Amino acid sequence: MKYSIPKFWRRKEGYYQIILTKCRECGKVAFFTYVRCPYCGSSNVELVKSCGRGVVEEFTISYNRVEEGEEYLPKIIAIVRLNEGVRVVGELVDIDLSEVKEGVEVEAVLRRFSSDDPHGLIYYGLKFAPVIKGA
Amino acid sequence: MEVSEVYVINSALIKIDRHFNKGYKELANEVVSEVISKSGIESIDLVVVSNMLSDCILDQLDISTILMQNLGMTKVRTLRVETGESSGLAALEAAWMAIKSGAAENVLVIGVEKVTEYPTYKINKVYGKVLDYEVEFIRNITPPDYAALVMKAYLKKYGLKREDLIMWPVKMHDNACRNAYAQLSFGITPEKVLTSMVISDPIHLLDTFPLGDGAAALLLTSGKAVSNVAAEPVKVVYVDSAVSAQFHLREDLTRLPATAVLASRLKEKFGDKVFTEAAIELHDSYSIYAYIILEELGLAERGKAYEIVSELEFVNVSGGLKARGHPFGATGVYQVAELHKLVTEGFAGRKFDGKYAIAHSMSGPDYNARVALLQKLA
Amino acid sequence: MFRVLCVPRPESLTGIVGWGVYIPRQRVKADEIASLWGFEKTLPKALWIEEKAVASVDEDTVTMGWYAAKVAIERGNVDPELIGAVFVGTESKPYAVKPSATIIADALGISKKKLSTDMEFACRAGGEGIRLAIALVASGTIKYGLAIGSDTAQASPGDVLELTASSGAAAYLIGPAEESVAQFEGVVTYVTDTPDFWRREGSKYPTHGEIFTGEPAYFHHIMSAVKMLFDELGLAPSDFDYAVFHQPNGKFPLQVGKKLGFPKEKILPGIVTPWIGNTYNGSALIGLAKVLEQAKPGDRILVATFGSGAGSDAFSIVVRDGIGERVGRGPKVEDLLKRKKYVSYAQYAKSRRLYIRNIG
Repeated sequence: MKYSIPKFWRRKEGYYQIILTKCRECGKVAFFTYVRCPYCGSSNVELVKSCGRGVVEEFTISYNRVEEGEEYLPKIIAIVRLNEGVRVVGELVDIDLSEVKEGVEVEAVLRRFSSDDPHGLIYYGLKFAPVIKGA
Repeated sequence: MEVSEVYVINSALIKIDRHFNKGYKELANEVVSEVISKSGIESIDLVVVSNMLSDCILDQLDISTILMQNLGMTKVRTLRVETGESSGLAALEAAWMAIKSGAAENVLVIGVEKVTEYPTYKINKVYGKVLDYEVEFIRNITPPDYAALVMKAYLKKYGLKREDLIMWPVKMHDNACRNAYAQLSFGITPEKVLTSMVISDPIHLLDTFPLGDGAAALLLTSGKAVSNVAAEPVKVVYVDSAVSAQFHLREDLTRLPATAVLASRLKEKFGDKVFTEAAIELHDSYSIYAYIILEELGLAERGKAYEIVSELEFVNVSGGLKARGHPFGATGVYQVAELHKLVTEGFAGRKFDGKYAIAHSMSGPDYNARVALLQKLA
Repeated sequence: MFRVLCVPRPESLTGIVGWGVYIPRQRVKADEIASLWGFEKTLPKALWIEEKAVASVDEDTVTMGWYAAKVAIERGNVDPELIGAVFVGTESKPYAVKPSATIIADALGISKKKLSTDMEFACRAGGEGIRLAIALVASGTIKYGLAIGSDTAQASPGDVLELTASSGAAAYLIGPAEESVAQFEGVVTYVTDTPDFWRREGSKYPTHGEIFTGEPAYFHHIMSAVKMLFDELGLAPSDFDYAVFHQPNGKFPLQVGKKLGFPKEKILPGIVTPWIGNTYNGSALIGLAKVLEQAKPGDRILVATFGSGAGSDAFSIVVRDGIGERVGRGPKVEDLLKRKKYVSYAQYAKSRRLYIRNIG
């Protein structure tokens, strides 16, 4: 068991869905679940779900080899502007390296972030993929 | 209550290298022995050890205690400081605060990192932990990915081509050729930058630091004690640090918010020319960060830092993280040791006679930034 | 006798409220597999297998089932909190012990008050999941039930099975007939102990009886179930507009349909295996989705699953008004069939972890 079980388990909602922290004080919205507004520090925050759709604003194709991440290479890390206007950085999958460009419409898809092979947990979470035509 | 002044009275460093035949204890011992000898300091009150990855790489917690046990220094106060890649300057910050407050008079700062104990892919993994594990690293985002996104945003914002940003590594390698302690003391051509391996496009291997082991040490003392020592003391005028918002919360990726805060605070306290009159060691973990740091410090106009790289005489004389090397937790201590030498006995074939020397360090994409302002006594 | 005729079949109280399919983007050509392992070059054509879908390295039964289920819920426009059962039929569970269904359900925000389990019956557990969901909805135990069939089918490299064993998923949201766009008219299941295909605990790949998987297994069970359904409902092949069968390859469904008296034209609309391979628990259910996406209100569809070991569920489904509008709420099977990227055998082997690597 390489990774902590509760560490992943307690955050799974934030990995399985795109959750935004909305500040009732400053009005700003941030990707991920924060206990306080990361902009103003207010604890008067609420968590809201994103629709999981957005557009690629920027991306990098990465060959950076990280232990236990080798089989996912090359990977694409993209900045996605969600329809809610909030930025999120995540992996972009199901697209050819030559097809990645700004403006690609994407949706959040459940994938394996990594897996603690061969005996440990599989870490599922949302990545982004081009919206399937008709979806 | 009168606050103490803080002085660096001696510094020591070893060549950053793949020291396969030496452990962290041997590396630390070399710089500690050197920095204490001939210092004139009789007793040390506090030892601050900077190290980023002992838990991950060395399977060692409480490295400061273990190190003191191994160096025969069991009666001294000691603590380890870790703030990611900027740990070295954080150790200086802790030491500076201890002396300023009067809690200590003589403080030894040790920066040590044994990086080459594992292959690169394993080090890449533990290095990635400087990001927010729960938000970023678990989602397979690593530091060079962010540097790549910053570089692309920068190129786009200023309408530049990738080829416009190739002189930084060339300059750093050139500087490192004169630094006997640098890991990569060889020159490179501009063409070589873009033909080197891609890490995260458009970041190439030659845009980033090599992995190497290093150790550096500083001996600090209070104003009261400084008159008793023979060496040429350099005053630690100010040490400051700040934290910036996480990457995905930044609308303008071409800015480094924590570094910007420190730059304005330092200018407010010491005048607008504080950076232009200083020799500087800055944190060029990825070359794009060097250009932006130059802009944040006011040394270059926004989007034009690349035009002034060749004119930078006393910026990263060491060769920077790029070519001197970046033994993570030791790097900030290296920077201060290099600046200390640069303004006293001379360093890397040069001597600086200007007013200030400034070390700038940061972790990840400016997740935290730290600066130390040094001044040679007239 | 009079009484039996008057009481409606419980399944007729239920129908398909939403459905969704997932087919991974990668395809490897059957010719390449055949050529690599030295199969005679006419074999793929004889089996009618052209290419198969290959899940990416970060995809598995859970991730594919999640996508299909997400689309099913969107098509049904149902509050996930009202779904009272989630069943995942699979023979490629990412965890040997630990339900896939709970991961999918949590990731989709489905009610915690639910029945939820993974089911294994080779390729027909998804079909049995639909039967269970029907029973639960018909009995009033739950309002909606989600039945998913999802597999990253394993095949020993070089086994003839490797030409077809592929990856994909289908999900069906079962609910009250009046909310559905396709009503269950009748459902029967026929199962026996027939060892045509199995995988032992700890084995990485299944073993099969090759020719024995045909007559005594696939054909016998499907035909028995379908004939039972015809008898109980008093229907004949001519009453159906479409017939969808489990598709271990492209050839078997046409053969079994012919034996049952269906013309090719009623079977071809539901054929998907030649282009995506045998998605195991997804196989007949993806075929059904493809048919639903072209059917008109009033059309009657026969679906017969098959799972080795062995058994078959036969469903008679009558399409209702509103089907067309619901088709448009998500990606169609046709969209997923067109979305493809050819990969080499090497890329397929990497994606499906056929290589031995030093890990851990």
